[in-house]
Amino acid sequence: MFFDTRPKVAVHVAQTGETFPCAHDESLLQGMLRLGRKGIPVGCVNGGCGVCKVHSMEGQVKSLGPVSRAHVSAEEEAAGFTLACRVAPVTAVRLEVTGKFEKPFRQGFASTAGA
Amino acid sequence: MGIMRIGHVSIKVMDMAAALKHYENVLGMKKMMEDKHGNVYLKCWDEWDKYSLILTPSDQAGLNHVAYKVEKDSDLDDLQKKVEAYGIATTILEEGNLPSTGRLLQFNLPSGHEMRLYAMKEYVGTEVGTNNPDPWPDNLKGAGAHWLDHCLLMCEMNPEAGVNKVAENTQFVIEVLDFFLTEQILVGPAGDMQAATWLARTTTPHDLAFVAGPRMGLHHIAFFLDSWHDILKSADVMAKTKTKIDVAPTRHGITRGETIYFFGPGGNRNETFAGLGYLAQRDRPVTTWDESHMGSGIFYHTGELVASFSEVYT
Repeated sequence: MFFDTRPKVAVHVAQTGETFPCAHDESLLQGMLRLGRKGIPVGCVNGGCGVCKVHSMEGQVKSLGPVSRAHVSAEEEAAGFTLACRVAPVTAVRLEVTGKFEKPFRQGFASTAGA
Repeated sequence: MGIMRIGHVSIKVMDMAAALKHYENVLGMKKMMEDKHGNVYLKCWDEWDKYSLILTPSDQAGLNHVAYKVEKDSDLDDLQKKVEAYGIATTILEEGNLPSTGRLLQFNLPSGHEMRLYAMKEYVGTEVGTNNPDPWPDNLKGAGAHWLDHCLLMCEMNPEAGVNKVAENTQFVIEVLDFFLTEQILVGPAGDMQAATWLARTTTPHDLAFVAGPRMGLHHIAFFLDSWHDILKSADVMAKTKTKIDVAPTRHGITRGETIYFFGPGGNRNETFAGLGYLAQRDRPVTTWDESHMGSGIFYHTGELVASFSEVYT
């Protein structure tokens, strides 16, 4: 057991039912990664690739940096969409994952091969 | 001789201060200049031309253009004729379009990526100079990358719709720009679809690579290091600077390169790699990886693809 005594709040991922504790000074995605947990897709962790796009259903988050406008428009951001790597929790958060991995080589070709 | 090598890449960044800090402190590049639009120009210590990386302020990540340097100014005229004859429109950007750089031949690859060719860029010299030079300079920061080495561009592929921009790009750069193919991944029921290609103009296994994806984009820009130990040190630098490592130090089957992948602020992927792999030559037989060995080609030790590496790009 590794003790981490920082105050934390719960982050709940609606689709998978996963809940993990996240500190106030780390992004939602870092909190998940630090514990080796899953639920939110992990990409660049720097606000650029968009795979960790989430919609915040309950709770408050604060921005840690810019999110790519190629993946989250200003309108979407105002409606609660953001990238999990760019926001830290202020309160407990309940979110749904809306980003997804695209499928460049593996699955695309496997499906072709089976067609 | 036409194209000599990769000259620079221009990429979009969302936080200029953070990006500059990354390329200075993690890669070890030096800021050479900033223009009135806020674009920042950097170079590695072992490069002699003025810059090899342009950072442009943006609200998203990704590639603006990639530029290759040709030997003679007249090469630009010759290549313009060849590119136009192939059916691709070109534009000449007059000297001064980019600072410290001569005129540029601008066109889009079949994949849509913007490529530029130029013959002249201001000579500033390496950090060790040309007279009785030391093997490396003092005060190197971070990984101390020698030079920008290559880039990997993601190209649209949709077999059901008959779209394969990897194959189109590959044919174009071989027939028109005189690159030669070193390695390829062939997929599909008949194993005849190019899903990834590695191409050279120098004697290294790749100066340019194309990989298939659902949309065009930038997979990574890569910087050269001397040795496997430098890759380890580069990983240490990333730990010290809290830089997100995408793929921990390993070896590629393809190119045999020793490598580590990581993300800069804003999410553009970088690679530092070592190991020349082999001497790339025009008469060296092309290495082919089939669909069932793709994982080993990409990550030789595990033979397993990494989801973020395969599926995330800007």
